[in-house]
Parts: sequence; structure tokens; C-alpha cells
Amino acid sequence: MDQTSSWQGNILYDWPGEGCESSLKFLDSAQLGPQPYDVVIVGAGVVGCALAYRISQFKLRVLLVDKNFDVGEGSSKGNSAIIHTGFDATPGGLESELVTQASRQWPILAEKLKIPYDPCGAVLLAIDDEQEAQLPKIHKKALANGVDDVRLLTPPELKEIEPNAPPDVRGGIVVPRESIIDPFTASIAFAEVALANGVDLLLGASIVAVENPDAAVKTLMASSGKRVTTRILVNAAGLGSRALADTYAGQPFDINPRRGQFLIFDKFSRPLVRGILLPVPTPQTKGVLVIPSIFGNLIAGPTAEDLPLDSPDATCTTKGGLEAVFDGAARLFPRLKGQLVIGAYAGARCNCSQGSYLIRYNDHHPGILSVIGIRSTGLTSSPALADYLIRGLVDNCGLKLQEKPEAKDCRPEHRWPGWWRRPFENGDLSKWRPDYGRFTCTCENVSRGEVIDALESPLKPRTLDAVKRRTRALMGRCQGFGCLVTLAEVISSHCGIPLERVTKNGPGSELLTS
Amino acid sequence: MNSIEKAKVLVIGAGPAGVGVATGLARRGINPVILIDRSERVGGVPSLYKRKPGGVPTFVLWTQGRLVSGEQIATHLTRELRDSKVEMCLETQVIEISADERKLTLVNPSHGRFQVSADAVVLACGARERTPVERGWIFGSRPSGLLFTKNLLDLIDLYEDHAASRPVIFGSDLIAYAAAAKLKSIGGSDAVMVDRSSMPDCSLPARLYFRRWAKPQYQGGAQAVTVAGTRSVSAVALANGTKILGDMLMVCGDLVPNTELALMGNLGVDMASRRVAVGSDYQLSKSGWFAAGNILGSYHGAEWCYFNGRRVARQVAQYLCRTDTPAK
Repeated sequence: MDQTSSWQGNILYDWPGEGCESSLKFLDSAQLGPQPYDVVIVGAGVVGCALAYRISQFKLRVLLVDKNFDVGEGSSKGNSAIIHTGFDATPGGLESELVTQASRQWPILAEKLKIPYDPCGAVLLAIDDEQEAQLPKIHKKALANGVDDVRLLTPPELKEIEPNAPPDVRGGIVVPRESIIDPFTASIAFAEVALANGVDLLLGASIVAVENPDAAVKTLMASSGKRVTTRILVNAAGLGSRALADTYAGQPFDINPRRGQFLIFDKFSRPLVRGILLPVPTPQTKGVLVIPSIFGNLIAGPTAEDLPLDSPDATCTTKGGLEAVFDGAARLFPRLKGQLVIGAYAGARCNCSQGSYLIRYNDHHPGILSVIGIRSTGLTSSPALADYLIRGLVDNCGLKLQEKPEAKDCRPEHRWPGWWRRPFENGDLSKWRPDYGRFTCTCENVSRGEVIDALESPLKPRTLDAVKRRTRALMGRCQGFGCLVTLAEVISSHCGIPLERVTKNGPGSELLTS
Repeated sequence: MNSIEKAKVLVIGAGPAGVGVATGLARRGINPVILIDRSERVGGVPSLYKRKPGGVPTFVLWTQGRLVSGEQIATHLTRELRDSKVEMCLETQVIEISADERKLTLVNPSHGRFQVSADAVVLACGARERTPVERGWIFGSRPSGLLFTKNLLDLIDLYEDHAASRPVIFGSDLIAYAAAAKLKSIGGSDAVMVDRSSMPDCSLPARLYFRRWAKPQYQGGAQAVTVAGTRSVSAVALANGTKILGDMLMVCGDLVPNTELALMGNLGVDMASRRVAVGSDYQLSKSGWFAAGNILGSYHGAEWCYFNGRRVARQVAQYLCRTDTPAK
């Protein structure tokens, strides 16, 4: 057996039905090997994936599980895609500490993991006297948080940074290191490197029971009835952490989805701003931001609406919500009026009544770690949080770390997303295939070759949404008018899945439901 | 792979309008005329309406006084192109535009990336259906089972047996009625049609014509609708509390012109409406750039677009005459 195959982990889907080929299916627990895992991480959002990435640097048997059919499908996919400096956090807490730490790691990490990243900076705009009076206080807080490169701006200085800022702006603060990132590729890249280092991935498996939580080796049961065994269980299930904690009767906590609605403006609106525009926060809310996306659009949002846990509306847009976003964005940045909105989305972040970043080692049982209430800052904090959790597992749960010198910590050069490094712009003609000139999505210029590369990529994505997040097909201004069926056809013909069985996001979301 | 081709005229879009322009120019002896399209077939929107047994003829050719399928129109256009001197370049995507020099960067499977410069460029890019968000009255979730008319036509093309038992249609124009007829003719049920206006946005004769195939139930006055369903579409809720159960949601008609290339070239497009402004000679804001067919924003059938293309060809020919003379 060659060495590479012994490190490479397995990717398996617990997938009933025909939406995925049988070679990728989880049919029998024996596929995961006879030995119990050292660590099973439940929840393949950005937190779970980052933890898997960091923990894969050590000689451990690790499994990353998610109930969805791709990584990063929950809270991690519907956010503002900002890497925060933490300049406005309440100083002193774990959250602010991790965010501040991680924000300094991201520039190098993004380059290593081939995650599109742009340190575009942010400007906080004060548009009336009351807001202007707040600025010195915010500035002082930023300095207390260790964000020492912030600067107070006079209106002329501000106009120099953001020439389209409203003419009556009173002043502002520039936060040079606030950055934007591709939030989808973040989870994907973490998981791909973890997989390459031997972490197994099991997607589409909802853990419904922990059979012997007090035992040294615990047995977890998926809803399909199949079982996996582990010494340590990490609950990083985001909005699913409540249901999972119920299976092992962890200490009580209350979480609920806090919905954030966003509007997406056409790429032609992107040149209106240079970086992120932030409003002056009020005691009630952080307000509506105007954010350039790494993909070249402009985004406005979010709202903050608390919904009950398990509400089917947690990721629904509403008339009132989108109107509030537009009004808020237009107040901050009037030039948005008359710009074309091409899309809208709603994300649900995890709101915990007992406070954010609740971390409980040996939660009622030895070897169970609950990571609860990682709210919108989770995307930023994830790499620092992962290190923090690993240290905690060593100190509290007896995890033994042994260096693995052959472990990778980066993705290969060719894993930059195709939309970021265009195949047709690559001068290397030896890598050119005619499929790179055959466009599946003509709004975002995504070629058939890029779609096939995505399908062949390490996590073997098989859903339309998973391919969308990797390639940008379906994400352009026509929102699938041109390419929905063509894209499904590429998945169908390349993977041997019947066209009508190709799904949007897993079983139950087939292209044709009848 | 980085060669620059020279064309007298580059026509973008091989639908009825683009073919009308290209063949019109070729007949005037202008060459080379290069006609490009991003899809792999000639015919544009009509080519999507395939002829199936028991299918619905959706296009009227007034000059011939008869009803035809879109596919027949596409065949007609293909034949006309074959007999002309127009150079056809399919599966070709425009990547960049230098509007002042009329130089375009294109990519296609066989050439990779290449450039074409032309004395005149005609945009005949047609129109597409507005997205749910662009319509401004559709909210809620985005489950599977939400299709544009074009997606339905693509599906029918690839997968024969599809039939929705409870289709709901957003929109009520000619395209929406044609979609309702299509859905019924492939074995589905009559759709519930939802739109904002109290009366359908489709002429009475057209509605009567499509009654031969389908009798959609019209539900007007919907100011805000909410799509429900976590994985696939389950229902549509109206603002007044009415709930319509559905297993397929069609987003039909309500066209918006494909003026992205005009926007790329800064050729005078209104950002919010996406419409181009053209003079009586069909010229855009920069010299040598023209627009033809449904990209102009007044939506018509295939025949109108074709003859509009011919009118634009005449203007382009006159323009070339004017600009050539001083150079000689």
C-alpha cells in the first residue's frame, strides 16, 4: 500500500436514493474501519471544518460528520463574509480574544488554503451629529481591542477613501484590516486538507443517539441506523447543537436562529465603493452594512430577527425584512438607490441566551465537548477557536497529541476556485481543455471544465448547491435562468446520476419532484 | 490562441434578430460578417421550443399565415445562414469589451481566448425572464422545484416524462400562458397562475388560443407571495392568507433585456431598468455599436425580430458606407 492512500481519508455520503453514485455511499459501518475514532466532530460548518483541519496535523483518527450533503451548509453559508478585526467587540471576552487573534492569521491562512480573500478595509460612517459624537468612543474601544491601526477621519479624508460617500457625511473611522473572504471556500478548504491528512468525512448523517455517553468509547447512531464509535465527541453542530446535546443530556442552554436577510446587487454596482461601509451602531443593533463581496457584487444587510428553534422560516426572506435592508443601506449609502438587486438570501446565525462562545468540556459526561453559540463572528474566529479547543481537549479530556510531520497544512495551487483564477486566463496551454471554453453559466463565465473539476474535487460534491458554491454557476444575475438544467446535465452525465434525480441540496430536493 | 481576427461586422446573438442582421449584411456584399452565439445552436429562444407529438405550436408566422413550432423557425434560420457567406461561431462567450476600439475578447472551446475587432458590432442578445427577486413581490425560501420557463423547455428536451401534478405559475403574459399549455401537453395538470394585476397580462386572443391546451386558473392581485418548502416546493402563500399547494413553481415571462454587454462597454444603459437607448438608426451611445431585436426592450415574436434585424442591417451598411468614404 502506498503512503498517500494510507493518509487520505474517506468521503462518504449517507444518501438514500439515486442522487449520488453508490461508490460514495455509506452503506455499512465497516467502511469506516474497525477501530473507534479518537475524535468525532459533529457539525461540518466552518467551526467543525477548522477544528478538523487543525486536529489533522496530529496523529489521531478523526471523523467529521454533518447531516447536510456538503460542508458549510448551515449558518456558515449565509453571512456577511467579513473577516473582522474585532475592533467593535466588547474587550476582554473569549470571543474578542479569538477574533483578534484569528484576524491576524487569516491573510496567511487564506493564501495557504487558496481561499479568495481581499483586505479591502472598512469605513465607519457617521451621517448625523449624534453619530459623530459616538466616534471617539468607538475609536477608543478599537484601540482597547488591540486594533491599533484604526484612524478617525475628517469628511475630506473620508471622501478620499470612499469618493461616493454621501456628501453630508460628518466623519468616520477607517479600519484598514477589515477584510472580505469567500465564505464557502473557507469550510471547503479546511475540510479538503483535513481529508488529505486522513480525516474521514461522513455527510448526510444526522446523529440521533449517543448510546453510552459515559463509556470511554461512545457509540453514536445516525438516523439511518448505522453506528460509529469514538473516544471524544465534539458537538459543533451550530443550530443543531441543541438537538445533539439532548441525545447525551448535556447541561441546559437555549439557542435559536437569528435570521439575517441580505440583498445582492449586480456586479456593475461594485465600483461604487472601495471597501466595507459600516453604520454607527445603536444600542439595539449593529445596523445594515454595505459590503463588497469577494465575488464582485455588493451586498447589503443583515437584519437581526429572532425566530424559534427549528422554525422553517429561519432562512426565508420576507418583504418587510428586505425593505428594511434596502432602506437601511440607502440611508448609509444613498447611491444604492437605482442600482439593480439581483438576488436576496437569508442566513441563520446561532443565538444563545446564556451567552456566545459557550464551551463545555466533559459536558455531563467525560469526553464530550459542547461548543455552543458561535455566532456570526465564527467565520473569523474559526482557526483560533480550533487551536483553543484542541488545547482544551488536551487539558480537560486527556487528548494526546503526537506530531504528524507528513501532514499538509495547505491546498495545492490548482485548487484556487476557477472564478478566482480563470482557466482561460492561465497562460499554461498544456492545461487547456476544450471544456474550459464551453460555458455552462454565462453570467459568471463558469465553464463545463470547471464544473467537472468541482465534481472531481476531494469532497466529491454532488448537489447543485454544492457545485454552485464551488464554481459560482447559478449565482449570477440570471439566477439559473440560463444554466440550471445544463448544470444538472453535467452532474448527471459526469457522475452517472439520472438527470431527474440530481438534487439541489440532498435527497428530497430532486430537480423533478414527481 | 491569441490572434486578433478582423471582421467588418461582428453580430452577437444567433437568434432571429442576429440572423436577420447577419444575412441582411451578407446580402449587401459586406464581408466578413462574423455571427457568434454563446449556445451551441442557432435560433435563440425559438430553438428551445421543440416540436413534440401533440406539442403546442407557440409561434405565428404572419407572412406565411400559419402556426409553426419554434424549432421550425430555428431550422429555417440555420438553412438561411448556411446559404449565406456569414461566418458562424457557436459556443463563443464574450469576456471583455473595448468599446471605443470595437475590440472584443472571446473564448470558445476550439480557440480558447482570442480577440476580434470589427468596424461595427451589433448586439442582438435578446431578453431573459426576470428572477423572483428582480420581480420584487416573491419572497420566502428557495427550494428545488422552482423553474424558469427556459428550464422547463430544457428539461422537456432532455427528459420526456416529466409532469407536475400541482404547478403554480408566477406571471401571466404570453410566455406564462404558453408555459401552462406546455405543462398540460406533457401530461401535467392545469396550473394556478399568480400575478400582481387583477387581469392577466396577456391578450384575449392569445389566451383563447392557448385554451385549446390548458385552462390555468388565474389568481390576480397578489402583492406579495411567500414560497414555502425546505427542500422542495410545497406551497405558495399570498398576502391575504390564501395558501396554494404546489409541487412545481414556474417563474414565467416578465422579460428583461440582456444588456450586460452594453453595460460592460459603457454604451448607455439605464442601470435600474437595464434598457439601452438607441437612436432612429439603432445606434448605441458609442459609434459603430448597434442593437437589434428584443434587446431593445419592446418584446416581440421571432418574425418581428428577424425583420428588425434586417432594418438594422440597412443602418449598419449605411454607417459603414459613411465611415469608409473619408478613409479612402
